[in-house]
Amino acid sequence: MSENILRVEDLHMSFFTSAGEVKAVGGVTFDVRKGEVLGIVGESGSGKSATMLSVMGLQGTSGRIKSGKIMFNDEDMSTMNMNEIRGRKISMIFQDPMTSLNPVLTIGYQLEESLRRHKWKGDIHSRALEMLERVGVVPAEKRIRQYPHEFSGGQRQRIMIAMAMICEPELLIADEPTTALDVTVQAQILDLMKELQKSSGMSVILITHDLGVIAGNADRVLVMYGGQIMEMGTRRDIFYSSAHPYTKGLLRSVPNPDMPKERLIPIEGQPPDLLNPPKGCPYVKRCPEAMKICMNQKPERITLSESHCYSCWLGVKNNA
Amino acid sequence: MLSVENLKKYFYTSNGIVHSVDGVSFNLRKGETLGLVGESGCGKTTTGRTIIKLYEPDEGKIIFDNQDITHITQNEMLPFRKRIQMIFQDPYASLNPRMTAGDIVREPMIIHGIPKDEHDDRINHLMRLVDLNSEQAGRYPHEFSGGQRQRIGIARALAVEPELIICDEPISALDVSIQAQIVNMLEDLQNQLGLTYLFIAHDLSMVRHISTRVAVMYLGKIVELADSDELYTNPKHPYTLSLMSSIPIPDPDKSDSRHHISLKGEIPNALNLPEGCSFHPRCPKAKPECRSLDVTLKDIGNGHLCSCPFTE
Repeated sequence: MSENILRVEDLHMSFFTSAGEVKAVGGVTFDVRKGEVLGIVGESGSGKSATMLSVMGLQGTSGRIKSGKIMFNDEDMSTMNMNEIRGRKISMIFQDPMTSLNPVLTIGYQLEESLRRHKWKGDIHSRALEMLERVGVVPAEKRIRQYPHEFSGGQRQRIMIAMAMICEPELLIADEPTTALDVTVQAQILDLMKELQKSSGMSVILITHDLGVIAGNADRVLVMYGGQIMEMGTRRDIFYSSAHPYTKGLLRSVPNPDMPKERLIPIEGQPPDLLNPPKGCPYVKRCPEAMKICMNQKPERITLSESHCYSCWLGVKNNA
Repeated sequence: MLSVENLKKYFYTSNGIVHSVDGVSFNLRKGETLGLVGESGCGKTTTGRTIIKLYEPDEGKIIFDNQDITHITQNEMLPFRKRIQMIFQDPYASLNPRMTAGDIVREPMIIHGIPKDEHDDRINHLMRLVDLNSEQAGRYPHEFSGGQRQRIGIARALAVEPELIICDEPISALDVSIQAQIVNMLEDLQNQLGLTYLFIAHDLSMVRHISTRVAVMYLGKIVELADSDELYTNPKHPYTLSLMSSIPIPDPDKSDSRHHISLKGEIPNALNLPEGCSFHPRCPKAKPECRSLDVTLKDIGNGHLCSCPFTE
């Protein structure tokens, strides 16, 4: 057994829409190690959610994995029965707890559904109560009979977490889990996730656009843009010695906590149109350091250290 | 420029009375940016909308440029609407999909009787002001990205040369790299045109960046108001303290070393407000007397206002 729980290799995924082929993921390679929190940061259209939907086999009827390999515990996922995996080995939490819960079923029913589905050995009802207590939805005996509308946004996200963790998955994918929540509640939910992750030893993929959430919660970070990985490293690599112009630009465009009044340095321009993605680097049109080669050829991945790598022609040039 | 005194706005629903804005007072000085922050349901958006009289206030006073506009009719309000404009959160929902960008910007000019022969020049000028080009005036909202749509919303607000702009979460629907573009643009326009902003948002670090002073709201009341640097470096109210300690910091070491004050539970709904100080059920420092406290903002030095009497 390797130390990786998940390996994604050169994944290409597209959505086929009436307007044409949207190349959501264009050649993405990364690992998730056992017991780590991998943060994925990127803006809308960066391909972060599309990558995860591919991992879960939830790309839908319009989405298609065109090439690439996804390995879970060294096994090719395309040969697996995803119904056995989803909710049991890999679980997912979504941004909006309001639309992810079924409004006409009690939360008890929805919690137990996953246990029944995966033939949980032991008492289903007491397991559901135990999970509710662990995520702080109390008194569990009373709350378990209630419907989603009787809970606040933060409580619903706690229920989603309980539901995702109820079968003790090995990997939890949290897609913008706190984006819809207020800051004080966001802090509560992130603390809860951290605590559950530590005590269970599972791996977590935390997807967010909030650099602050990444800085406080991820062990390693993946920076995505236009369907590709721009840079990857430990959170110290990314925040203190970022190498890619996009990562640098992103870090500069949020207010500096030490110099809050300093003028912001935005990234000029607009995100790329994935119907007609640039041939070369997806960031080329907004990059202040773009060169001719960036227009036509995809950059190679440059390794800076064991943990830190990035994809940019600038690095190739500097190395040469 | 604008002074709001003990403003109240209640909504009457089948479940009871929602005390959305429950006695809000503040002054807005010419040329400044006042940030209004708080969590969802605290009444910050309702405050903004009541000031521009999209909602009729229930109690209190709104004084704009020394004139009481609290209870004037919609017709009498029209000249003030020209001077107070608004930018909305959602650049998708706030632009009519069947109107071109140019017509969207033209609409306020028609309403406020700006001579027709000036319209086209003004539209071209406004489009350039928000970094769009004049050819784009013929396009429809769906042809623009989120950030570009927000620029159209800003151009529309500027079309009648207002003095005060109420910005209701103008950047929260945008991507990080685009947020900085819009914030810089709002700052530039303020300097060029001498605008005053009421900046409503929940992103606390952006509010610190853009605001001269910041007011923190909780359950329909302002609990603390101070100069922005003072408020962020020396917060006094227990709610503000917890809010500040919950802001995610984009710096791993700082994030690890800081102490986070977590609050119990969530913001209660405004149907049944707690007695006394409405923050006491969640306050880490609550005392028995907080249940019957009369909370009013008091100056604790240098214009730093705080409603909690038990600060050190």
